[in-house]
Amino acid sequence: MMIDKIESHLNAKFPDALSNVAAGDRHVIFAVEQKESYPVLGELKSIGFDHLSDVTAVDYIDQQEFELIYHLRSHQQRIRALMKVRIPRQSPVASSVTALWGGAQMHEREIHELFGIDFLGNPDLSELFLEDWEEIPPFRKDFDTRKYVKEEYYGDEEQYPVVKG
Amino acid sequence: MSFLTIPFGPQHPAAGHFHALIKVDGETVLGLDPYPGYLHRGFEKLMEYRVHTQNCMLLDRICILDPLSNEAGYVNAVEEIGRLEVPVRAKYIRTIMLELGRILSHISWIGEMGMALGFDSACRIAWGDRERIIRLNEIISGGRIYPVLFCVGGVRRDISPEFVDKSYEALDYLERQLEFYDSFFFKNETFIMRTKGVGKLGASEAVDLGVTGPNLRACGVDYDIRQDEPYEAYPEVNFKVVTREEGDAYARCLCRRGEIAESISIVRQLLKDVPGGPHRVQLDPMYKTPEGESHFCVEAARGELCFHVVSDGSPIPYRVKVRGPSFSHSLVAFPYLAEGSTIADIPVIYWSLAPCPADMDR
Repeated sequence: MMIDKIESHLNAKFPDALSNVAAGDRHVIFAVEQKESYPVLGELKSIGFDHLSDVTAVDYIDQQEFELIYHLRSHQQRIRALMKVRIPRQSPVASSVTALWGGAQMHEREIHELFGIDFLGNPDLSELFLEDWEEIPPFRKDFDTRKYVKEEYYGDEEQYPVVKG
Repeated sequence: MSFLTIPFGPQHPAAGHFHALIKVDGETVLGLDPYPGYLHRGFEKLMEYRVHTQNCMLLDRICILDPLSNEAGYVNAVEEIGRLEVPVRAKYIRTIMLELGRILSHISWIGEMGMALGFDSACRIAWGDRERIIRLNEIISGGRIYPVLFCVGGVRRDISPEFVDKSYEALDYLERQLEFYDSFFFKNETFIMRTKGVGKLGASEAVDLGVTGPNLRACGVDYDIRQDEPYEAYPEVNFKVVTREEGDAYARCLCRRGEIAESISIVRQLLKDVPGGPHRVQLDPMYKTPEGESHFCVEAARGELCFHVVSDGSPIPYRVKVRGPSFSHSLVAFPYLAEGSTIADIPVIYWSLAPCPADMDR
């Protein structure tokens, strides 16, 4: 199946679900509504997108939304598909795709830790890289790394005096 | 059922800052839980505070043994957003350096694999040979381990006749060494006994777990981004994608050995006719990319390396996501393969996957 065929195939299966479709020479990119996301991913898997390369989250704080980007590749057809889905920032919950791609479990666990997005159906969303983290998830836009480092490591000026050159 | 829990890592020589708890019953491994994070520096977040020129400095640190692939992925993603045309000479220099980086990474891996097998002389010899390529890095960029050579719009420094001569010298030397490695390492009876049939991975399982690079090619899937989605000067060179069918640790090792030979041939082809012209487009250090996003994948030595860069029109990226190859290898494939194996095979399985904890944690 060629890149332009994927769009027409998905449009036939899920009328009016796809938006912002852009096809390049390497990949096709499109966005879907949250309620369509799991069925569309299932369909992509069944037409040969067997490699889940990555799951990315982007924090669009101005629009109060998170964007999840699923990076898929089909090894037989040698093409990529990027599917974007927006979820509300206030109640960030998405369905887990662990049942479709075994490798998804760790990607979702990482996003859960760094962005605080919940994945329903993921068997293990415990801490991955961080330890005893009590602040807001650190990759969100409202977490200021520089302020945190200053307060955490340089806060007590008597104990850690700032050396001025 | 009674079992014993023993730690693997995070001391450097055995696991490279990777920590896992292994549940064993006698010799048999019942399960393995990875506990990463010892090298988590939060690069993706740090890049949201810095301009592209500064980010090139950070990128090298993502994977210590294969720094240039990270630079290539990021600068290509930024150039794609900015629709920048890179001079052909820069593309050639980048490809030469990327392939030298691949040889460097694979030779370091021979050392690590030797260490996993208790074959310390392999480690000493391989890490000594690695120095040949580190010196080339130093000649072209001034940096030995972290060259920080690529920049948005080209490469920071041009190649000199001295670099070309020394490169040929190093390639000739490494080609001779490769035969030596064959005789004392790859055809060694002990090496074959310890790796053959160990950590066997089927093609469909490997794809499901997100395994890429030489590890996937050892299962018979010929997925190589240099061939499927060629970037830089890869369309100009002839090379063979090394694949094997067995999918065990032995096949993964031989795939890497084959790739060193292919990379030597690629560098020779490129060094023969590097086109003239400028080696970079001079850009403002505070270069602003237009609003947009791009996704760029490169074939790093250890597998598929993708950069997703989102730009909001300022000189600083809004979001950078790094998809490192080792994430799937050590966090997903390694626990999967460890289950049911024996304690003695754990280091062999781990290093045959060649993960880089620095790139897994980021």
